[in-house]
Amino acid sequence: MADTNPIKQFEIHPIAELSVGGLDLSFTNSSYFMVAAVALTVGLLALATSRATLVPGRAQSVAELLYEFVAGMIRSTAGNDGLRFFPFVFTLFIFILMGNMLGMMPYFPAPDFHGFTFTSHIIVTFALALSVMSVLVGFGIFKNGLKFFKIFVPSGVPIAILPFVILIEIISFISRPVTLGVRLFANMLAGHILLKVFAGFIIMLGSVGALGAVGAVAPLIMVVALTALEFLVAFLQAYVFAVLTCIYLSDALHPGHH
Amino acid sequence: MSYPSDHTSPPDPDDFEHRLARKLEAREAQRAKQNAAPSGWALGLRYGSEFFGGVIAGVFVGLLADHFFGWSPIGLLIGVVLGFAAGSLNIVRAVKSMQN
Repeated sequence: MADTNPIKQFEIHPIAELSVGGLDLSFTNSSYFMVAAVALTVGLLALATSRATLVPGRAQSVAELLYEFVAGMIRSTAGNDGLRFFPFVFTLFIFILMGNMLGMMPYFPAPDFHGFTFTSHIIVTFALALSVMSVLVGFGIFKNGLKFFKIFVPSGVPIAILPFVILIEIISFISRPVTLGVRLFANMLAGHILLKVFAGFIIMLGSVGALGAVGAVAPLIMVVALTALEFLVAFLQAYVFAVLTCIYLSDALHPGHH
Repeated sequence: MSYPSDHTSPPDPDDFEHRLARKLEAREAQRAKQNAAPSGWALGLRYGSEFFGGVIAGVFVGLLADHFFGWSPIGLLIGVVLGFAAGSLNIVRAVKSMQN
């Protein structure tokens, strides 16, 4: 019987071992898919914009659509000032979207031939969220100086409970990268496990005889439906991550506008 | 309703109104679809992660205080309680932002 372990897909295998000063810096299948995502994005966008014409062709209009989509998202959440973060938000969005979409492929030209979703590892999503937070804090302090810390002091709070409220606000702020990372990670992990569990049912039922094989049609339909849903989730979670990034970054631009 | 689709007859002034009404209807329907409440699964995951994030951050701050000031276990206890408060605040903010 085939292996139906639903969490085997998240295993990380080193492709090229590398150890620097006791640190394990091996090039793993996760790294492979990140490089593939970046290479594919850069390659496809370069191809789409290489023969730019005034009336865009098919590839060029997809690239322009992407640009307009992200630019519109930033304008509507962080205002026109937010457009200075366009490169950052666009990179994050495309990287996550590409990672989620590559993860939807059951087979991929990778060293062990099966797909891998790097966004289903919390360390990856958390690192992405932390990069957002460091840009937020760094740019906020650079632009507003100490006024940036106003975001921790809500207006109209009695002085007696102010220290308490500030403490809660600070913890709420620290929870942002956690929330941002956990949401993407949890969605990708749960979706992929669900897919594999239902796919496992097909194999289990199919191996118990004719009656089982007939019953296996039900989980098969479920897997087809779930795959469609997963494509939606893959796009939606990249979008949600980018929108929340914009909302958080607008705090750095206009602190105290809650 | 009249639908003069052939261009032989003179245009009916009502026709434009009808077409406009149909277009507006379609747009309203699309807007209603976009503004429809997200599915329960998405909402649950959203609020769950907001609350979870708050508690985790509170525990993190509490453990940090324990580690650097030697308050163990008072820092963790206070951190958890404050984390619950921060998580609730996060949920309130999430609901507010969704209602707008």
